[in-house]
Amino acid sequence: MAEPIPAEKAADIAESDFAEIVRRHQAMVYSIALHFLADRSAAEELAQDVFLQLHAKLASLKSDDHVKFWLRKVTGHRCIDYKRRRGLPQVALDDVPECAAPAKAGDPWLSRRLRQLVASLPEKPRLIVILRYQEDMAAEEISNILTMPVATVKSHLQRSLAMLRQKMARALGEVLEK
Amino acid sequence: MSVDNDTKRTEDALKHALRRQDAPDGFADRVLARVAAHNSTEAPRGYHDSWWQLFTRPAVRWATAAALAAALVAGGLHYRQVQFEKAQAERAQGEAAKQRLMLALRIASSKLQLARSKVNEINADQTENHEEKE
Repeated sequence: MAEPIPAEKAADIAESDFAEIVRRHQAMVYSIALHFLADRSAAEELAQDVFLQLHAKLASLKSDDHVKFWLRKVTGHRCIDYKRRRGLPQVALDDVPECAAPAKAGDPWLSRRLRQLVASLPEKPRLIVILRYQEDMAAEEISNILTMPVATVKSHLQRSLAMLRQKMARALGEVLEK
Repeated sequence: MSVDNDTKRTEDALKHALRRQDAPDGFADRVLARVAAHNSTEAPRGYHDSWWQLFTRPAVRWATAAALAAALVAGGLHYRQVQFEKAQAERAQGEAAKQRLMLALRIASSKLQLARSKVNEINADQTENHEEKE
């Protein structure tokens, strides 16, 4: 977890701190992009672009919390833009390798299958699910980042969870039948 | 109860599946290299832009106009001074030439005076000799 910047230092995050900021937040930015795009090289490219944009913007950000909020927001919006611009195909669920004995939380097969199911969600629900379960953010925080009503965020979350549960149950059933 | 447990299990599984992953090795170094490259290509253009943008500021425009006016006045004064010194030098040269001419005339005049007195002496001697013979 990121350590907060002391109040007296918060006002002037200098350029010399940039390398430290990159190291502190690189896993967060890269993981949001990776879970959204399901493509390692695209995720790294996008994450680098986000940090380049941060470098230009750094002087106007007042604290580490502000930096983190800004990074989540810009990464999310860039992910959606990237997907729309490149028209990346949905992840094919048939590519999932089969396993004889699924499945409990922490099972690699289950995790891989869930990541692919998440990557097959529509753009905004996908980003909401990633921010909720990767970043452990509350619906209110997500609504601030995506500038949408809290009720809409909660609704997307419920529908996405229901769909994921349904698809997961179907996938498990298919595996068990085999 | 069953639905709640199901939801809880799905949420736990999602948290595990979507946990943060480390960025690839050297990620931060690559970002810093891109920032450095970006800065090195942007700096000259920024400098160029700011050089021109200086003249959009009223204070800089006034200062430039004042500097040009001062340069014109200084140039005019310098030209006038050079012309004055040149005229003075020419006047001094003329005066010196006049002095030399006057000296030459005085020397010539004294020489003529001497020659004239010699001629008069010779004429006087010849007249005396002529009278003695008669």
